[in-house]
Amino acid sequence: MVPASPPIAAQSTGRGAGARRRRLKGVARRLGARIVAALVMIWAVATLTFFLVHALPGNPVQVQYETLISHGVPPAQALKETRIIYGFVSHEPVVSQYGSYLWQLIHLNLGKSISYSGVSVSHLVLSAAPWTVILVLSGVLVSFLLGVLAGAVAAVRRTSKLGDLLSVSGSLLHGIPQFVMAVLLAYVFTTLLPVFPFGAPYNITVTPGWNLGYIGSLVTHAVLPVFAYALSSYGGWMLSMKSSVVSVLGDDFVLAAELRGLKPLTQLRYVARNALLPLFTVLALSIGFMFGGSIFIEDVFDYPGLGHLLLASISARDYPLMSGTFLLITVAVILSNLLADLLYTLIDPRVRGQAS
Amino acid sequence: MRRRPSRAAHLGSGAGDTEEFEGLRVRGLTIVYGTEAGELAAVRQVDLDLQAGTITGLVGESGSGKSTLALAMLNAVPSPGRITAGSVTMSGIGDITRLRGRALREVRGGVLGYVFQASQNSLNPLKRVGAQLLDLARSHGVPQPRLILGEAQRLCERMGLDATRVLSSYQHELSGGMRQRVGIVFALVLNAKVLILDEPTTALDMLSQAAVLQVVREIHAERRLATVVITHDIAVVAEMADRVVVTYAGRIVESGATGDVLRHAAHPYTRALLRSIPRISGDISAAEPLPGRPPDLASIPTVGCVFRARCPLALPICSEVDPATVSVGPGHATACHLAAGPLAVPERTEEVAG
Repeated sequence: MVPASPPIAAQSTGRGAGARRRRLKGVARRLGARIVAALVMIWAVATLTFFLVHALPGNPVQVQYETLISHGVPPAQALKETRIIYGFVSHEPVVSQYGSYLWQLIHLNLGKSISYSGVSVSHLVLSAAPWTVILVLSGVLVSFLLGVLAGAVAAVRRTSKLGDLLSVSGSLLHGIPQFVMAVLLAYVFTTLLPVFPFGAPYNITVTPGWNLGYIGSLVTHAVLPVFAYALSSYGGWMLSMKSSVVSVLGDDFVLAAELRGLKPLTQLRYVARNALLPLFTVLALSIGFMFGGSIFIEDVFDYPGLGHLLLASISARDYPLMSGTFLLITVAVILSNLLADLLYTLIDPRVRGQAS
Repeated sequence: MRRRPSRAAHLGSGAGDTEEFEGLRVRGLTIVYGTEAGELAAVRQVDLDLQAGTITGLVGESGSGKSTLALAMLNAVPSPGRITAGSVTMSGIGDITRLRGRALREVRGGVLGYVFQASQNSLNPLKRVGAQLLDLARSHGVPQPRLILGEAQRLCERMGLDATRVLSSYQHELSGGMRQRVGIVFALVLNAKVLILDEPTTALDMLSQAAVLQVVREIHAERRLATVVITHDIAVVAEMADRVVVTYAGRIVESGATGDVLRHAAHPYTRALLRSIPRISGDISAAEPLPGRPPDLASIPTVGCVFRARCPLALPICSEVDPATVSVGPGHATACHLAAGPLAVPERTEEVAG
């Protein structure tokens, strides 16, 4: 806050062009601090993951080593293979194990999967990621758009039937668990009314590539899972947007805009931009969480995304794959948080002001 | 500095409505709030003239309906309130309470400038002041919106603001006093004819307060505005206003030239209000607080004098008959049974105040 106004003369001594440069400097310093904080957080999570895997009952690394020995692999060979899988071996002291794990991590080496023997975790994760991105990103965006529009209308018309109806739709859909929504949609639209294909991300008769048949098949297969996702997260967006718009509508500047005779469209823009502000952080975060995949929906629709991979790695006790997937989710969330922060600095001048 | 309004325009001439009048004229205005307890009148049967070249002080406690009255002048009574009777006529425009849509929008901001309290945030926090001025210009169909920035700059400089800096600032970068002055710029930049200041000194320190009032007075005189200052602060009225209108529970109880009302207050409420002000050079205990509680909508009596419950001079008639408005001097009127005694001249018209 600027202190209560001093005598007029003192106020008119401007800050001029220097202010802008100082502001930019502030943003740069802030950005630097954020990036460092993000790196520290990623390191902390990686460390936690390492010690968690290390502390798991039955010591999977030791088990792996001993399994290889019992298969008649010579100890030196077994040690080497275990190291390839986990990035460290339990024969060495914990500190040096930790050191070599971090070293591998810096080189983006997440080790090798156990259940998909010989395949690197990075490869598995990278090939599953696009499916999740298609599914969850479209789901997030569709639900965000629908929810924000419906929420705004529900807020403006909150005393009318339409407003009530929209609010009820939000609460209701918010209450339906994802897997119920997925099963429901699958049952209605593939069994009762077979409009959409079921299972597999595309028809196996088409050749993957930049051809219409493949892309069309991708889209028709994605419609149901995307809508299952969108409908189950629509309610959250809708209700948040509604309460945000209601609170902005009560702000003085909205009445001021009306009393100054601003165009209805301009007034709407003022309200919308202010109401959307708090939702942006949540949007960025949910894009980060997207890399956790959507376990239930991917499972119901047999979608080979990250959720699917995570589920498979847990049931197969594939620890390298598990920790790799977890790490990816973490990094994605931290990065999207960072992005949200930067975005906020761009769209909210008040946050920008705090930097200087 | 101060201009006394001509007597004829205000009271008892009976020709008030036909004679050439420049400014905003409120007649028989009644505003009702629909609540669970039924329809409650926040403002009842108010007559008020805001004449060009005159600063009117609208005084009353919180809850006296003065802000509702001010919003009604822009036909912007907040729901669940609504205007049930009366008119707000702007010279050259017509009855504002009948305007809708685009016509109403153009009057707001274009003809009637409303200035918010300094403690209120009347600007969009996400846009620079200059950009919002451009929005204002575009909304009002100004042919070359950019030209408005030059006008805004001149007004800013007038008010002792660093115009370049203010126009490129966001609201949170401005102090309360600066925000208020920016609010005045927004109200005047389109050449409004009526300036409505809502509690212009609340949340301001004494220095900013004096500076803001000084500037308002100057621009008022230059542009021959019809200015109304809504306040609970008698000191502001004494300093600024040519005329005072005292409201209580949504009725106008007294009106007149500032000097007359302050020196010869005719209504018991006005007198009590004046006695309740502490003096800087004097014993604080000399100031007498007003006994009783300020009125709230649900407890306002519908028949008789609205002030009788707190009035030290109340008579039996006060709870039975609405007091008529009587003239107690040139341009000075009050709605009190006591004033309607043998010395007072009865009002010919139904005007309460003017």
